[in-house]
Amino acid sequence: MNFWIVQALNGLQLSMLLFLLSIGLTVIFGLMHFVNLAHGALYALGAYVGVSAFALTGMYWGAFLLAPIAVALAGVVLYLGLIRRMRKAGPMNQVLVTFGLIFVLLDITRIIWGDLALSIPEPQLFTGRSEVLGVAYPTYRLFIIGLGLTVMAGLWLLLSRTQIGAMIRAGVDNDQMAACLGINVERLFFIVFCIGCALAGLAGAVAAPVLSVTPSMGTQLLIPVLIVVVIGGLGSLKGAIAGSLLVGFIQTFGAVLAPQLASVAIYALLAAVLIFRPAGLFPAKA
Amino acid sequence: MNLIVKSALAGAFALSATTAMAQEDVIDVGMILPYVGVYASLGEEIDQGFVLALEEAGMTDRFNIIREDTEASPQVGVAATRKLVLQDEVDVLTGLVSSGVLAAIRDFVDQSQTPLIVSNAGNDEATGADCSPYITRVSFSNAQVNRPMGQWLYDQGVRTVYTLAPDYAAGRQHIGAFVTAFEAAGGEVLGQDYTPFGQTQDFGPYLTTAQAADPDAIFVFYAGGEAINFVKQYDSFGIKDETPLYGSGFLTSQLYLDAEGPAALGVITSLHYLPTLDTPENKAFVEAFQAKANRLPSEYAVQGYDAGRALVEAVKAGATDRESIKEALRDVQYTGPRGPLEIDPATNNIVQNVYIYDIVEGEDGKLTQELLDTVEAVRDEPNGCEL
Amino acid sequence: MFHQTTTKTVTILLLFIGMAIYTVFAGFYGRELVIEAAYLVILAISLDMVAGYGGMVSLCHGAIFGIGAYVFAILTGMMGISPFIALVAAIAASGLFGLFVGAVTSRTSGIFFIMTTLAFGQMVYVYTFENRALGGDDGMSGVARLDLSMIGIDTNDSLQFALLAVVFAALSYAVAAFIMRSGFGRTLVGIRSNEVRMRALGLPVLRYKAFAFGISGALAGLAGTIAAQQTMFVSPEMMSWMMSGEALVIVILGGLGTLVGAAVGAVLFVFLQHEVSEVTRYWHMVVGLVLILVVVLGNRGAYGQIEHLLERRKKGAPKASALEVAAEKDASHA
Repeated sequence: MNFWIVQALNGLQLSMLLFLLSIGLTVIFGLMHFVNLAHGALYALGAYVGVSAFALTGMYWGAFLLAPIAVALAGVVLYLGLIRRMRKAGPMNQVLVTFGLIFVLLDITRIIWGDLALSIPEPQLFTGRSEVLGVAYPTYRLFIIGLGLTVMAGLWLLLSRTQIGAMIRAGVDNDQMAACLGINVERLFFIVFCIGCALAGLAGAVAAPVLSVTPSMGTQLLIPVLIVVVIGGLGSLKGAIAGSLLVGFIQTFGAVLAPQLASVAIYALLAAVLIFRPAGLFPAKA
Repeated sequence: MNLIVKSALAGAFALSATTAMAQEDVIDVGMILPYVGVYASLGEEIDQGFVLALEEAGMTDRFNIIREDTEASPQVGVAATRKLVLQDEVDVLTGLVSSGVLAAIRDFVDQSQTPLIVSNAGNDEATGADCSPYITRVSFSNAQVNRPMGQWLYDQGVRTVYTLAPDYAAGRQHIGAFVTAFEAAGGEVLGQDYTPFGQTQDFGPYLTTAQAADPDAIFVFYAGGEAINFVKQYDSFGIKDETPLYGSGFLTSQLYLDAEGPAALGVITSLHYLPTLDTPENKAFVEAFQAKANRLPSEYAVQGYDAGRALVEAVKAGATDRESIKEALRDVQYTGPRGPLEIDPATNNIVQNVYIYDIVEGEDGKLTQELLDTVEAVRDEPNGCEL
Repeated sequence: MFHQTTTKTVTILLLFIGMAIYTVFAGFYGRELVIEAAYLVILAISLDMVAGYGGMVSLCHGAIFGIGAYVFAILTGMMGISPFIALVAAIAASGLFGLFVGAVTSRTSGIFFIMTTLAFGQMVYVYTFENRALGGDDGMSGVARLDLSMIGIDTNDSLQFALLAVVFAALSYAVAAFIMRSGFGRTLVGIRSNEVRMRALGLPVLRYKAFAFGISGALAGLAGTIAAQQTMFVSPEMMSWMMSGEALVIVILGGLGTLVGAAVGAVLFVFLQHEVSEVTRYWHMVVGLVLILVVVLGNRGAYGQIEHLLERRKKGAPKASALEVAAEKDASHA
């Protein structure tokens, strides 16, 4: 029994990490119809900034705070320099430009931080293990789960209870109509894009103590994250939650129950979902 | 692809040196290493070690190094090798980090009769069933590094293990050699998992499964980023207190020790080189490498060094062209940074000591390797190799 | 819609003749580059057929390319079957796989189509990577080359093999151009511009799309067999999604939806990669920047830009047929 509780926590932890990454991607897509393949590279950038911030401040929380800010700033530069220009260029061109961005960002991280794998330690506050549901589980992983749930709740409140949330929902539904209603859609896009980038940076800083920080970490996680977003249905918070949980649990329990199939499992899931539900499970628009 | 990192300076030096000593033939060396991608840092270490050996012998002007980038891709590696052999007509090839690239170029190297000094790639076949008189390996074979751990672990009182490794050829060879030796000694393997290579970031599910099997110890092979992930996650689950971690020495290589941090403390592994070996040869090497690269050498640096050193020894013995270099390499024998080594005439693989070590905190507070035991002159069986 | 215009004919002839002449005078390494360019030309053309004309941006063409290479390698290397039979079988196998993927994915579109093809491609890649009977991540060596000694061609000679590869590339272009000019090709373009209308016209749209993907797959498989013969070695690397991405980059560099652009792009890509990597280790960044630049500047690609400039000049001349200009424009703005 304890075994399954721990494995369920493992699945939840992975799901939350995937959620932090995919929510930015999916909201950007839902609102702007913009496919940002460079999202993974921004996550890697967050992890690297986290490493430097840790070296600078000597504290994990330095990384935790500075990484989202730095990546959001990178998002500002990207938005003003490139993304804004590509807004009306169609999904194909956006895929291509951001594919090019992957290469550029990858080499920039290599030039600044080198090829060697780096890492930062867990925060003092969350070292060791804690007792949950009768099992001892790494505290830092519990922190990731908690953080994921907090962000989830925060975003849900933001989207459903606040004015800006209503504006975002209106924009996702019909951006032209929203503009007619006097919503400054351009500014909304800009804000959402920066929040998405900040969340990617946050995910990088949160992942850094668990995973090694390498130049390829972004491309490695890009595909699982794309799968999450597409399975869930582009643009919806509910979709991102469902997709993260599905992928996280299938990867975890696939590894436990059918190790031979573990690596094919998520691709099979993706293919199956898209064949039967061509727009994902919870598409933002009916 | 096919990056010719002709470091302009080195090239110019070699050229001017050639004209100065026209009577001595310059040996063209084709260096095939990954300079970009996941293995780039290994390529860099090997390259630096190789050049150090030439400098130490004062023979940099006898060799003209032509560098080609494999990007760790077999396709690119094959193209690079063909170019070096057919267009540059090099006298000797060296390098090879990835076993996949070595397997890919094996036939071509053999048929073109170009000697190749392997400075990393450890696939057992290269000096086993697929051996070639033209392929000499001065690094290690996957089996060689792990086999001694089978008996050693049993002697420490470990009776049952659970093994983990990435699901690719090298992963299976590292684990396979250990398991065979461990079972021969009388131990029992309770379970084995092979994790999807390059896709597994979270080892949690595997660690939990391994722990549930309740073995005396866990034995793993991981390298690079995966090694760091694994060691840290193993530590965070607190398995260390009940079930010690053993493995192939790449797990706690000098290269990753900083990133792994305190999580690596107490992990016991086996490898063919430690920067902390207490021999005059190693102390001189570490000092020279630190002066050059400003960091401690890893096993990759020493492999590059020994590739260079073996070539120097062969040339000193009078070798001048492909055929004579190939012959002379077989007789290479010296005591280097990693101890006494020679080339096994039966397989062309290196015969060397394997060191069993754990990770402790050094006097300066930094993590360091502590030698526990030495298994001397480990030699592979021919395994179907006929030279 | 596809028209074999004079500009196209001249460009493609110049390209292939240029490659052939370069092959004759180049050293060994230059010839290897020509072979690489030749199979990338074929792969890019095959991708352009579906992406440029059918609007189906595939991220599994690397995997199909790899299937061609692996089937050829298994049959010649492991089973010792004649390379001719292996060639036919490899093309058939990749064509069938393409047909399958095309049939299954034909209902999805846009980003969902891209992701589904990615999923199928990655499944093939992961399966091959972990299949030890196929050499796993180490790949497989011992691939044979076509034996053309009865017509006096020695494929083991680098010059003759490189020329042969160029001939294959030229033939592939001819086949692709023929198909795109046929009623089938026109229908495909029709589906891309308005799928609903074509369906209303009573066309079995999904079947058309699947067939197009199958034909494209067969061509990608042919490219794979040439790649396998060049290095006499195959590895899962050829199947990864980065390979598919590279093929897409090539098509964009040259100009999407022109076929000629794909060929030009392949040669440009090999040239760029080679020249830039001589100067810097960070050539990926340069390729990335070039890609961004191409798209931001209107996404015509190298060949599209040439066409665009010629068109602009022609517009002043009285001979220009407005219809043709419009048709060409349509093709280059896919």
